[in-house]
Amino acid sequence: MIKPLEIRGLCFRYEAGTPRIIDGIDLDIPGGEVFSIMGLSGCGKTTLCYCMCGIIPHVYGGYMSGDVLVFGERAAEMRLPVISTKVGIVFQDPDTQLFSPTVEDEVAFGPENLCLSRSDIGTRIDECLEIVGLRRYRLSHPERLSGGEKQLVAIASVMALRPEILIMDESLSQIDSEGRERIKETILKLRSMGKTIIMVEHDIDNLDIADRVFLMENGRLRQVDKDRAGDAVGLYRGT
Amino acid sequence: MLLAFIEAHDVCFAYDKKTAVITGLDMKMAAGSFTAIMGPNGSGKTTIGKLMMGIIRPDSGKILIEGDDTRQLDLGQTGSKIGYLFQNPEFQIFSHNLYDELTFIPRLKGAEEKSAALQADRLLRLLQLEDKKDVPTFSLSYGEKQRLAIAGILMGRPRYLILDEPTTGLDMVRKNILISILMKLLDEGTGITVITHDHRFVSHFSGQLLQIKEGRIIETGIK
Amino acid sequence: MRPVLNNFDVRTKLAIVACISTTAVVIQNAYVLLFLLIVSIVLSALFYGDLLKTIKATRRLWYVFFAIVVLQSIFNRSGNALFDIHGFTLLTDVGLLKGLEFLLRISVIIFSATIAASSDHREVVQGLVQLKIPYEIAFMVSVGIRFLPLLRSEFIDVITAIQLRGVDIRKIPLTKRLKVYSYIFTPIIAGAVNKARRLSTAMETRAFRAYPERTSYLVLKLVLKDYVVMIITLVCTVAVFVLYYIFGFPGRIL
Repeated sequence: MIKPLEIRGLCFRYEAGTPRIIDGIDLDIPGGEVFSIMGLSGCGKTTLCYCMCGIIPHVYGGYMSGDVLVFGERAAEMRLPVISTKVGIVFQDPDTQLFSPTVEDEVAFGPENLCLSRSDIGTRIDECLEIVGLRRYRLSHPERLSGGEKQLVAIASVMALRPEILIMDESLSQIDSEGRERIKETILKLRSMGKTIIMVEHDIDNLDIADRVFLMENGRLRQVDKDRAGDAVGLYRGT
Repeated sequence: MLLAFIEAHDVCFAYDKKTAVITGLDMKMAAGSFTAIMGPNGSGKTTIGKLMMGIIRPDSGKILIEGDDTRQLDLGQTGSKIGYLFQNPEFQIFSHNLYDELTFIPRLKGAEEKSAALQADRLLRLLQLEDKKDVPTFSLSYGEKQRLAIAGILMGRPRYLILDEPTTGLDMVRKNILISILMKLLDEGTGITVITHDHRFVSHFSGQLLQIKEGRIIETGIK
Repeated sequence: MRPVLNNFDVRTKLAIVACISTTAVVIQNAYVLLFLLIVSIVLSALFYGDLLKTIKATRRLWYVFFAIVVLQSIFNRSGNALFDIHGFTLLTDVGLLKGLEFLLRISVIIFSATIAASSDHREVVQGLVQLKIPYEIAFMVSVGIRFLPLLRSEFIDVITAIQLRGVDIRKIPLTKRLKVYSYIFTPIIAGAVNKARRLSTAMETRAFRAYPERTSYLVLKLVLKDYVVMIITLVCTVAVFVLYYIFGFPGRIL
């Protein structure tokens, strides 16, 4: 059975002669799970995200070996627009991933780029705003929404391309507790729809919805017990 | 009872003179103490920080810094008493070089190169950046930039610090580093106010806790 | 004052703006410019509503314009001297008229621009696309409208940050001021470059430029009243040109 995402012997460095940021990662990601990848800042979590969604090598260069397979096809050989219909990514900063005048325009942006029909686009907008619970903000200006609502718009905009896998690269880090809860509810809804969500985090408080937790250190991944993840990243236990 | 370093008396503020962002704010921060201002996004925490610094002026009521009304102080005068760390520390890094970043302003004001360099060295050690001296500032990690911004503020020897959402983007190890630095500063007598929604971070300190909702203090606590 | 006419297609408004602005630029006659200014103020009030907001938003520019008017008046030496000092002519009647024409022209452009600004900026972008402006250019306009306020507030934060560290630019000697400006612009430029990079990455991950064409979900449709207004605008514009160039109406002040 073809898995949505498979990583085989992945190694990566940004520049020749520098240490590898990713140093031999093998991973199979099945559908319908919430994966969490934890690690300290600078350990390569974001680089791994970029390799999984095709930003590396299609947008950012570097020295990559090994394979990232998206539904059995090599991501390095696929066009980025094609990858985006299979693997989507939501970034940390909502302000630099929302650039349209209204929420409706933001969600329509991806399907418009794919030359879908207007009725298909309308259907996708309705569906995605329903998933994230923002139907009443359809004609709102994104910059006037709260941080949590902006990230929900970002999720809806990415989901409008109907990827099976959603990567969330520290998307909760700038959000308050109320916003985080709303986003987590949305993640669980997507999981129940059979989607896979890969949450890249360094805050263990966001691990509660994860099915599996991986720790990234020294360029490699290892699975850790969710309840002991804090110890794994060296949580300071107080003065 | 500790003397108030910063006080707010019945402060009201609205950005567009229509919708009130802050209403009836009364609070005191003592010199050398720790205060946490907590609340959800959009509750007015950053606005309170800016009012305390005199970056924005209250529509009514007053804010006093060591007894002086912020309306009578310019930003340089406020900045000499209180250091302010913006939510995005990158706005406060002005040079490509660490040493230049810390010493250009003292030199501009006529300080001796040697004394500025000594002070810079001390702060780089305090902020755990001494091994980054040769790294261009814009290649530093987010946490390192934040600590550099704090070092830049501390060059002016303020006796109070306000930090706006300092834990955003920091992993646990970097938060722990920040906690230890703030504790050292508190030990040295620097007052600190942290504006945040991070309960776990605040739990490491003892002092005053102000809960803000819709521009009002809804709860005051001693930790 | 509330806008009275707000249901017109943005392309109709752009046509009105183009006709008024073009006439103001081409015809250099104070009477015509005064007439155009009255028309653009009336239309601005009808479409946009808030004239005071326009004046307030542009008030810093008016000082610059006034300075240009004075300079233009002083440096244009043709005509009769109106004001001289010890035989050195400072101001002539033609110079004054040229300055006045400049002020009228710039006022026409500003007030007529508000006619287009009365549309939601998503309609402005879509209007440009339907006028066959390449999507990338229309998108740049949209991104500019979205991010310029953000850049402005970041600029203010940077200036505030350096002032809080005790740097008062007004008190810095001129010889050191350039260096201080380079310190100020460093974080602004770095921030803008970072923002642009993140924005373009986000766009690419949402299939931007996947194909040479793209669908538009929002489609603007011209209705009868749009066509009527556009025809009236065109006829009036042609009439002004015919009256001026063929019949010499109105005459010149000097």
